[in-house]
Amino acid sequence: MAFRGNFLLKVLVELIWLGILLLFFKTIFSKSSSVASWSEYEYLFFVGAYYALEGFVETFFLENCVEFSELVRSGNLDFFLLKPIDPQFYLTLRKVDWSTVPKIFLGAGMVWLAMIDLGKVVSLGTWFFFIVLFLCGCILAYSFLIMLTSLGVWMVRNQSLMEVWWLFSNLMRYPREIYNTPWAFPIRMVFGFMIPALLAISIPAEFVLKKIDVYTTIHMVISTIVFFCLSRWFFNYSLRHYRSASS
Amino acid sequence: MRKYWNIGKLALKERLTYRGDFLFSTILRFLPMVTSILLWRAVYESSEQSELSGFSFKQLISYLLLVHVSRMFSSMPGLASNLARDIREGVIKRFLIQPVDMIGYLISYRVAHKIAYISTSILPYGLLFGSCWSFFDTFPSFKGMLCFPISLMIGFLIGFYFEAFLGILGFWFLEVTSLLYVVTTLSFFLSGHLIPLDLLDSSPLFSVLKHMPFAYLAYFPAAIFLQKVHDDELILRLVIGLGWALFFYLLCRIFLALGLKKYSAYGA
Repeated sequence: MAFRGNFLLKVLVELIWLGILLLFFKTIFSKSSSVASWSEYEYLFFVGAYYALEGFVETFFLENCVEFSELVRSGNLDFFLLKPIDPQFYLTLRKVDWSTVPKIFLGAGMVWLAMIDLGKVVSLGTWFFFIVLFLCGCILAYSFLIMLTSLGVWMVRNQSLMEVWWLFSNLMRYPREIYNTPWAFPIRMVFGFMIPALLAISIPAEFVLKKIDVYTTIHMVISTIVFFCLSRWFFNYSLRHYRSASS
Repeated sequence: MRKYWNIGKLALKERLTYRGDFLFSTILRFLPMVTSILLWRAVYESSEQSELSGFSFKQLISYLLLVHVSRMFSSMPGLASNLARDIREGVIKRFLIQPVDMIGYLISYRVAHKIAYISTSILPYGLLFGSCWSFFDTFPSFKGMLCFPISLMIGFLIGFYFEAFLGILGFWFLEVTSLLYVVTTLSFFLSGHLIPLDLLDSSPLFSVLKHMPFAYLAYFPAAIFLQKVHDDELILRLVIGLGWALFFYLLCRIFLALGLKKYSAYGA
């Protein structure tokens, strides 16, 4: 909080983004009562969950991952690798961006508001499993971010890689039903099974609002475990190819 | 004039040095277009209407594609932040001792960057427009065809002088980055980059936004192409746009003169 003015302005920017997101959302639902079988407040629930997930990733991981390629380029990664701590844990969680913390609470607020407007009462067990699936979504997003970050060892400059991250988050932003069209079938297959970005928000939201079979839920949990292990392996593999630039 | 031409040539060579990285990032920037097409398809199907606020599905997708062209001309990445940094670090004093006008230098540099940007973008944009050609079922009238490139030029001028004005504010504020964040975020929506402004017709914002300078950065060129601006209204819209460009030009000149008066050449 040393630069309070800058911190408050960053929070203001996040609030403006939320305003734009809600205005976009309201504009769509002023033209149609539903989108891909999601009613207005169901969709608000989805948007809230997405906003909270984005806030979670930006608060804990994004800034650290963006700085990774600079550590590779300057050779300062050496100092991190020498410390007696797991490199992935330390490198991806060493800084917290407090200015994006409000996004997590604002997202949760939108979820809560949507539930009130839907007049839907769900059990504590459902909320518990929602949080478990939401955390699976966060781990999926983190795993993908880690894989992108690891490429920084070879590419050094990772400006374009952050654009790939933006594309990935773009895939999570909308319900997976919008991909139910023949020409989008390859996207649904690749990002629903191989790189399961489409599941990150859709499954937790569907779990609370719609009836989904138990296999879909298990699919998400298994995908998360597999994708996380894969990303961890890839991160360690990339570190083995790191050539220090400082010595 | 010759010196500004040379500045332009140098900037063009500099821009083309990193064409590989540029090409890759441009292609990636188009990919979210796929999710936009899918989302709007779902919206149109659910609404069971062929038109929303006068836009058919195909026209809406054409609009979102054309906005890329508008932004190609009107976006000025780094202009304001670099100018504010030059003021803060004292680099700007070279313009006080060299026989070159600062705004003239910046605009010739930016024109060269735009030429390089557009020439290296032809391939990815050609691929994008080629693959989405079936969405284009509306084309401008003869008058609209003449006004479309003019509207792009007006977008460039408004974008340039507006960003330069923000940079010039660096004479008074040490750091303008946060202000730029706010303005860029607002401009993304107010310019019609996200959705056509016509879709806000149920909001009181609509009539105000259409008269704001931001609308010329993305909305108007695309709307002119898609015949969403009536032929009788075209000239008036372009005159208003030129008026905004002149307004920001004068604002730049006045604030630059005021700023130079109080400038202390720190960092010398």
